[in-house]
Amino acid sequence: MIGSRVVKALRFGVRAVWPDEAPTTLPGAVYPDWDAIYADNVGRIYRLMFAKVGNRPDAEDLTSQVFLAAYGPLRATAGVGQVRAYLTATARTVLAEHWRRTLGHQVTEIDLETTDLEDYTGPAAADETANGPTQQRTTRILRALPERQRQILVLRFLRGYSIRQAATELGVSIANAKVLQHRALRAAAGLDKDGTEGEAS
Amino acid sequence: MRHPVDSYVNRLLRRRRPKPFAPTQDELAVMRTAIDLMAAAPEAHGPRPPFVEQLRARISEQERDEKGPEAARPAWRAPARRRFLAAGALTAAGAAAGVGADRMAVIASGEDQNGRPGQPGPGSGPQQPQPQAELTPSVGVWRDVAASADLAEGDVHPFDLGSVSGFLRRASGRVQAVSGICTHQGCRLDLAAARDELSCPCHGATFTVAGVNLTHPRQSNGPLPALPRLPVREQTGRIQVYAPPPSPSHQD
Repeated sequence: MIGSRVVKALRFGVRAVWPDEAPTTLPGAVYPDWDAIYADNVGRIYRLMFAKVGNRPDAEDLTSQVFLAAYGPLRATAGVGQVRAYLTATARTVLAEHWRRTLGHQVTEIDLETTDLEDYTGPAAADETANGPTQQRTTRILRALPERQRQILVLRFLRGYSIRQAATELGVSIANAKVLQHRALRAAAGLDKDGTEGEAS
Repeated sequence: MRHPVDSYVNRLLRRRRPKPFAPTQDELAVMRTAIDLMAAAPEAHGPRPPFVEQLRARISEQERDEKGPEAARPAWRAPARRRFLAAGALTAAGAAAGVGADRMAVIASGEDQNGRPGQPGPGSGPQQPQPQAELTPSVGVWRDVAASADLAEGDVHPFDLGSVSGFLRRASGRVQAVSGICTHQGCRLDLAAARDELSCPCHGATFTVAGVNLTHPRQSNGPLPALPRLPVREQTGRIQVYAPPPSPSHQD
């Protein structure tokens, strides 16, 4: 592995200035160098990873791993499509390894068929709540729930309420709010189809 | 009513790295749902600029270390396309094997930095490892450490000259030598069984064979400096390291 890493000496000596907005990529477009590859894709890979692990520390770690693994092979100039495909494939491997090490189960996966880094372009898509693949799923999950279960999940996940704040808002005890949250998540996950919310009300 | 999966979810909600446990199938489904819902978190929108900068610096660091001290090698001879595809074939193995250990490093450093939910300011990121210096003794001689023939491409060999000890490796035809002393508290590093990593028996820090810190002990509070490199040359079939002359008390 080490032997295969040959280096273009000067490329990293130059600190490039990043444009605020990445230019739109055309089909068949080519990245001029590694810096461009990194600048254009670091956010995408991070968002993809965040969508798969749900927390920043892990998402940052996995993003680092993807780029540290890919930088050697991708140092060459290459087409945008190829680079994205390569990064996605690397991300898939890195994520699988992460789950194998931590939980021993593939909690989430990156499906190469359906994952397009273009979908992870930027926060703009997330704000509109319906565009990103993950946001769509969130909306669908919440819509299917009974009212109180939906409320607790919205308060906790979307609004960032603490369990205490959420309990106050819903007019229940903290213990009940915890139970409600637990059940809501089970129901949202497709378990407990009947979705009892008795204890909380 | 304490389910481990609740702790998992609560750590996600508190913006912490969740802790591993042995989940059931049902719990996995709950975790997936919670992860999906976390997409609404502000952190899901994009990486922190300090992180982006830090990773860029880390990659540059790795690049320099791969490159060797003064290697002004020309870029590869293979055409770009072939290089790219050949590398692609290695992705799965490379990413799994090469990166696995790397993860631990970031875990250790990430927790300090991300443990609290607020946005850390630019100054609060872990400090960058020091640039890898060359360990050149004021008074030294070129001392034999191995026969050239014994160090094939990709090989890693330990050497010990008493005053200095370390590891030789041959990458892209060139021989490099790094110090074998952990930059945390000075324990002597071991070469891992797979011969691709140096590990510290004292606190578990690990380094690449090029000297870059991979994992560091929690108490070190940030990445460790890279292992110093040693001047090394090949002459008449011998690999030699520039080191202090043998002392009478230590025969090599």
